[in-house]
This record gives sequence, C-alpha cells and structure tokens, in this order.
Amino acid sequence: MIDLFPLYLTLKVSITATFFTVFIGLGIAWLMARNDFFGKSILDAIIMQPLVIPPTVLGYYLLVLLGRGSFFGRFLEDGFGITLVFTWKAAVIAAFVSSLPLFVKPARAAIEGVDKNLENAARLLGKTEFEVLKTITIPLAWRGIAAGSVMAFARATGEFGATLMVAGNIPQVTQTMPIAIYDAVQMGNTSMANILVAIVTIFSISVIYFVNWFTRGRY
Amino acid sequence: MKKASTALITQIRKNDYTDISMGFNLCNLIFYLCNQSLLSELSLNNELAVLFGPSGSGKSATLNMLSGIVKPENGIVHINSRDVFNSEKDINLPMRDRRIGYLFQDYALFPHMTVFENIAYGISNLPQEKIKNKVDELLNLMRLEGLENRYPSQISGGQKQRTALARTLAAEPDILLLDEPFSALDYQVREKLRQELIAIHERFPITTLFVTHDMEEAFMLGERIAVINNGRLEQFGTREDVFYKPKTRNVAKFIGARNIFHGVVKSVDENNILIESDDIGNIVVDIKESRGQGGCSLGAGSSEEIIQTLEPLNPRTLEPLNIGQNVCFGIRPEEVMIIRPDRPLDKRVQDNLIHGIVTGIMAKGTGHAIYFTAKHNLVLKGFNSGKDINLKIDIPNIAFRRLALSKNKEITVCLKKECIWVIKD
Repeated sequence: MIDLFPLYLTLKVSITATFFTVFIGLGIAWLMARNDFFGKSILDAIIMQPLVIPPTVLGYYLLVLLGRGSFFGRFLEDGFGITLVFTWKAAVIAAFVSSLPLFVKPARAAIEGVDKNLENAARLLGKTEFEVLKTITIPLAWRGIAAGSVMAFARATGEFGATLMVAGNIPQVTQTMPIAIYDAVQMGNTSMANILVAIVTIFSISVIYFVNWFTRGRY
Repeated sequence: MKKASTALITQIRKNDYTDISMGFNLCNLIFYLCNQSLLSELSLNNELAVLFGPSGSGKSATLNMLSGIVKPENGIVHINSRDVFNSEKDINLPMRDRRIGYLFQDYALFPHMTVFENIAYGISNLPQEKIKNKVDELLNLMRLEGLENRYPSQISGGQKQRTALARTLAAEPDILLLDEPFSALDYQVREKLRQELIAIHERFPITTLFVTHDMEEAFMLGERIAVINNGRLEQFGTREDVFYKPKTRNVAKFIGARNIFHGVVKSVDENNILIESDDIGNIVVDIKESRGQGGCSLGAGSSEEIIQTLEPLNPRTLEPLNIGQNVCFGIRPEEVMIIRPDRPLDKRVQDNLIHGIVTGIMAKGTGHAIYFTAKHNLVLKGFNSGKDINLKIDIPNIAFRRLALSKNKEITVCLKKECIWVIKD
C-alpha cells in the first residue's frame, strides 16, 4: 500500500494557494490592466520573477523573509505565535508565490481584452466601478481568469525547489508529491516513484488539454 | 492656449453663460471645452442637433469629454441646470452620475447578455415586474419583439443599433449623444434608421447631439448643425444657415460647396455689395434677402437669440464688409439658374448673367451635373473680365430634359444675387 499523504498534502496546499492566487492575483491583474501608476513595470517584473529565477533562490528569499532571523518572521512568532518555516503553511506560501505569475499573466491579458467601451457604456448607464467589474469585466474575462486559475493550480501542485527550501522534507508533515518523488528516487524505491510520476503526468497533461479546450471558445 | 482659453471661459461666464442659464432657462446642454487645441462652445435645448466635421476634427473627442471618458483641461459642461464638469469650481462628476445616454459607434452591446438583459441593464431601483413592462415597451417601440432572448451576436446590425438605443433610453438620460451610430450599416438600413431616429426623438424629445461626418446625414437629421474642424467650432446654426451661408471657407468646403471664387469689394450699400473678381468679373450680392437669413422655420426664436450671444467668438459672415476687402464667395451648384432662351428675362434674374458653353454633363441618377465654362466671358450685363470660369450646376432631370442640354451648347446662366454667400478671405 502506498502512502497517500503526499497526494493529500499536495491537494491541500495547492487548493489553499490557488485560493489566494486568484483573489490577490485578480486584484493585481485588474490594477495592471486598467490603471497606470508609478512603478507598474517594476511591479510586473517582480511578480514575473518566479518564472525565471532559480527556485532555490526564491526559496532562499522566502526562508530569509519568513524565518526567525527576519523582522517579519520574528513579528509573527512573538506577536501571534505563528511559525511558518517548515510547516505546511510555508509550502502554501511557496506555491502561492510561484503560481502567481501564471495566473496574473492570462488574467491581465483577459481583462485587457475586454473592450473599454463596454465598461464605459456600463458606467454611463449609472454603474459604479465595482458593479462594472462584477457585471461586465469579470464575466467577459472569465475564460482567461479560469484558465489562469487552472494553470496556477497545476503549477502549485508541481512546486518543488522553493517548497523544499522553506518547508523542508518532513514525511507526514511537509512532504508533497514532487518531494516524495525525489525522496523515493533517492531511496531507490522505483515502484513508488513510478506510481507518483504516473499520477503527476496524467494530471499535468489533463490540465493543459483542459485549458486549451476551454480557452478556444469565444463570444 | 491654456491662458487664452481660461480667459475665454471667464469672459463667457461673465457675459453670456449666466444670461443663458438664467435668462432663457431653456438650454439643457451647454458646454465650453478647452483641451489643448480643442475648443467648442455650444448650447442646445430639447432638439436634435448634429455635430458635423471631417474625420479627425475632434467630434469624438468632444463626446468623450462631454461624457467624462476624457477629462478636459478646461471648460464647463452644463446639463439640465447642473454642472457635470466645471474646471473653475473643480467639479468633475463621474460618468455614472452624469445621466448621459451615449450610443457608441460600435454599439457596445454587452455580448454576454441577451437583448432583454442589455436593455434592462441601466434600469435601476424598480421591481422586477416594472422592469419587464418597461423593457417590453421599448422592445415594441424599437421593433425588437421576439428577439429579447437572442444574444447580440445573433442579431443584425440594424437590430443591434436599435437595441443599443433602447438600452440608452431605458436609463432615462438627460441628454443623448450619438457617435456616428449608422456608419457601419448598409445604405438602406441607414436611411430607415434615420427616419426612425427622428420619430423616436419626437416621442422622447430629449436634447440629442448626433455626430457624423456624412453631410447628407447631417442635413437630414440636424435641426441645427454645428460644424467643427481641428477641434474648433466653425459654425453653429440652422441647417439652412450652414448650407446656404457658410461662415468660413472650411464650412464651405465640408458642405460640398463648389463654385468658390475670390474677389475684392468694390462698393457697399444697405442692400447690395458689388464684388469685383478676376475669376468671374463683377458680381452683385444681395445681403438683405440672402437665403438662410431668418428664412428658416427651424430653430426657435429663443435659441436664435442664444446663438447671437454666443457667436461673437466666431468669424462672422456678414460683419461689415469694407470697400477693398478681399472676399471669397460662392454659390451652391443647385442654385445656379440656366436661363431659358425662349422666355423673357425675369426681373429677379437680371443680375450676374454669364454666357458660356456646356463643357460636360454627368448623369447622377437623381439629377444631372452640368459643367459650364464662360467661353469668351461674353457678359450680358455689367462686367468684363479675363479668365475662363468653371461652374458646376446641378439641375433636376425634368429641367435637364426641357432645356435639351448637350455638350458645347451655348447657354446663359444666372448667379442669383440672393443665393451667393460671401466670407472674408
């Protein structure tokens, strides 16, 4: 019987991380698509970093930021008794940061693709900015937003480097699927590795196929 | 420019603006806008007016500033006795509070909503039942029954247009701005929609500003027409005024005036001016009887007076012309009269007679265009000059047949003195 804990933990971490990615990412995507502000391109460059920066570097940054050595880490621990490093929460943060660009990019493009005249028409019909967002922008951009969410979720399930750095490899605590695969290979447990790899492969192919199929239809 | 425009607004506010809003209290749209090179001042009341100009003249920019899509640098937008924008008082209402109905060139229908949902979108604070009644009424008025559950992608261009208009009217706006709404439609559909628009305006007589670059459309729809170019108002007046008495050369150009000549004022009395022109010799212009001068039934008396108070900012046609002044003058092709040789000369057409030959004839379906050259500048009365002149003359088919015109035929034409417009050159 194989240990299903890594599968369970991966789903838990990824779903939580995707939840934050969608809400925070939607705000960022809207801000970048519909507003001009100082430092917009710098913010864009920073958010996109997880796509290009080595995962170990990202993990190192998170470790420094969230660890006891930093002001933020000490603040959380002394003030609220929250320890993040080497817990599943740290894995959520690592998954969130690395999946954010995969959500923001398509969501921003989708919002930019909504005809501004439609939003202006709604405003001129007496709607507030929030109503415009709710009834016009998001409904018209939702395919891109949904596709971005699925991509972000897939990326979160596959997060390895940063998670290993900041959450570690503690069986039954922080050992997610990718880390369990690494562990199994290191231990020479090939049959275990094969099963996990098969699950991940089927899942990843399904995700991309679904996203492609889903984004094809347009109004 | 900015300084100049601020000065302008101050001047307007001191003089005319308060007078207009208090004295007449009729206008429900007044605006003065200054944005870099864009400057217009207009006042409208319960009418269908047209904003006419070539592409790139600032028509859309004006609408964008009125509706709040673009913020003007300076100016006042005054709708139904409230300022929705006033740069001096620092008022800039958000779009949702302006109560402006805006019909976009591309309709801007919400693609994810049905026709019904689109029309109902702007109706607020009504129970479900009343919303349905109101939308049904509009569907009926706009001949859209049976389409309420279709999506915008499933209906024709004309139906989209009517849906968009219904959606705008459903929100009960104070004014209506129409941005070239018919430009993407077939000729026949356009024709029909224009008639419908006039009918709808009679039913909902709200102040409407219709933007177009199509001259024919401008004259069919506009009780009054504002002609703009390069962001500046060139002329604002009744359609007769604009058509027969362009105030600037640009207006003359945009309304398709041909037959434009240059000359110098030789003498002036209270009825006539005499212009000596190298192009066609001496021409008498009747400044009293001239067409368009109060001869138009459209545009109520009060609004006429409003124009008067606003217009000193614009170049005027009939400001006193002094002797020696260089002028530009012209006559519409359909106002040139071909004299019938078999009949005695009417007293009315004894001035400005020119003898020449027909150099070209073009059938236009609805009439004929005659190209005329004064062959030897043989002048029957009053003048004698050098160059050949070319006139374009539009005549109805019936007149064309009766006159039996053919190429190279010798004819005499009359430039009726009350049909000639004159502007300073």
